[in-house]
Amino acid sequence: MQHRAIISIIDDDESMRCALKSLVTSLGFKAYTFASAEQYLDSSYLDDTSCLITDLQMPGLNGIELQQSLLAQGRHIPIIFVTAFPEERMRARAIEAGALGFLGKPFDSSTLVELLDKALEIGRKS
Amino acid sequence: MPTTGVLDEQQVLLSTLPPSRGQTRLALAIVLVLLAAFCATVPFATVPLPYVREFIPAYATAMFVINSITSALLFVQFSLVRSRALLAISGGYLFSTLMTIPWALTFPDLFEQTEIASTTWGLLSTLWHLGFALFVIAYTLLKDNESPTQWLRRSLPFAVLSSAAGVVIVDALVWLVTTTNASMPTTFALFERSYTYWNGLLLLAFLALALLWARRRSVLDLWLMVVMCGLLIELCLIFLVGRRYVVGWYASRVFFLISSTLVLAILLSETAFLYARLARSVLAESREREARLMTMDVLSASIAHEMNQPLASIVTNVDAAARWMGRPAPDLDEVRASLAQIRNSAYRARDLIGSVRAMVKRDGRNRTPLDLNELVREVLALTERELQRSRISVELRLHEQLQPVKADRIQLQQVLINLITNAIEAMRETKQPRVLMVRSALQEPNRVLISVADSGPGIDPGIVDRIFNPLFTTKSNGMGMGLAICRSIIEGHEGRLWASPGAQGGAAFEFALPADVA
Repeated sequence: MQHRAIISIIDDDESMRCALKSLVTSLGFKAYTFASAEQYLDSSYLDDTSCLITDLQMPGLNGIELQQSLLAQGRHIPIIFVTAFPEERMRARAIEAGALGFLGKPFDSSTLVELLDKALEIGRKS
Repeated sequence: MPTTGVLDEQQVLLSTLPPSRGQTRLALAIVLVLLAAFCATVPFATVPLPYVREFIPAYATAMFVINSITSALLFVQFSLVRSRALLAISGGYLFSTLMTIPWALTFPDLFEQTEIASTTWGLLSTLWHLGFALFVIAYTLLKDNESPTQWLRRSLPFAVLSSAAGVVIVDALVWLVTTTNASMPTTFALFERSYTYWNGLLLLAFLALALLWARRRSVLDLWLMVVMCGLLIELCLIFLVGRRYVVGWYASRVFFLISSTLVLAILLSETAFLYARLARSVLAESREREARLMTMDVLSASIAHEMNQPLASIVTNVDAAARWMGRPAPDLDEVRASLAQIRNSAYRARDLIGSVRAMVKRDGRNRTPLDLNELVREVLALTERELQRSRISVELRLHEQLQPVKADRIQLQQVLINLITNAIEAMRETKQPRVLMVRSALQEPNRVLISVADSGPGIDPGIVDRIFNPLFTTKSNGMGMGLAICRSIIEGHEGRLWASPGAQGGAAFEFALPADVA
């Protein structure tokens, strides 16, 4: 790749943010982390994000609400949900709203890698 | 809202429940009315009334029914509290019930009888009164030096045995009296008219009443006294008139009937009331248990959720480290960073388990009488630095005569630290003056209240019912378990923890605990 794709990571848990950042960077991407959905929405990375990895349950806007907010803005950023409490209902809602993936913590990094590749494919096509 | 504790035996049983003031007044009123009626009847006692043949049989039937129901009620009490006293009194009522039958049947004018039968009837009357009074005396004497004895364990055989004994005694007496030679009945007939006889009977009944009065303790004792009063009045009237079919004779029976009926009615209503109280307590307990189970369910879900965070962090860090190392030029700094993160996550998991344990542990082994005022001061000393750093001033309003509370020091300390830390967090963004108000007070009846209030933004009304939920947190690093754990600790001490809008506009978290009534 000529320029490294930008992956945005949102999680209220700091250790999770760091771990994901380390993993994503080790894969060769550029990672930016945010402690909350609001922080991300206020940032300037909305246009540049190739893929979004976000937690579901967060104080303030939760993952699903973030997804809807982005869709309302007309942005179709590929979203991968990573949550400690994967509920079937939430999974259905997320996938229905166009999420790329829905993983439960702890997750196998190879699954995440596959999803990231898929996200970039979509990015390249559009 | 009082917590529904386990009902104590004294409050649930007729034979041990102390009478309320209203009941005592009612009993007294009834006795006074009976006495008044007695006094009113005395002047007319010897006025003859028409002969009503059905009177005695009707009276006997009524007494049979009333006595049998009372006897059953008392046997139920006996089955719950295996005391000899209760066996005595239930036996007494059973005896009364059984005596009614031969007594009614030997009533002289019912069938065509001879002189013997008349005496039989008189004898049976005597035995009835005598027996009943003796049983009451036995009850009173056995009442207070009680410890349920081994051999009373199975009450049903004893109920059967006492019924059989009653029947045997009564039949034996009847047989004896009807088959004995003529002199016995005449002697008895003479005796019956003597003052000694009546004095003896009256004295015995009076003795029973006096003993009951001296040893009165429960609802049962109170109403037995009313019965004895009725009996005394009956005996007095019969003694006074010495003839049948006069006002006094009818009246005596009626008075005793009324007193027995009233007593039964009251005992039944009291039983119904106690049953309702018991049922409510049991239902409340079962609902509490349901709620606790549900909380456990939610709690275990939240534990799973919380444990998954550090675990996921560990796994992801491991994967990342592996990839960093797998590069042509391994980035060891990154690997080291990952390892450090892994260790932190592991410790987090350990702490989480520790706090879960603290919450779930319900054993009261480490409970000692605590002075909550002292504990509050201690915790404030512990959090002093944090309070000063956040420039929060503390207002203490501690009740000087605070009763001690039997509690686990460490657990309550945890609760207080948590509440104060929450208050500090809440006031982080508040403008001056930042005030933390801690208050202790006595609450009726026998409860100690601690209140921790802040001058922060208060609790968002939209979330106020969720803040004690295990999953809920407004903090980024929060585990969401703090308040849930606090509540569990307080409830484990038979207390209550709740949140309400504070007087200063912020939030107030309060908990109440039962005082140690040692």
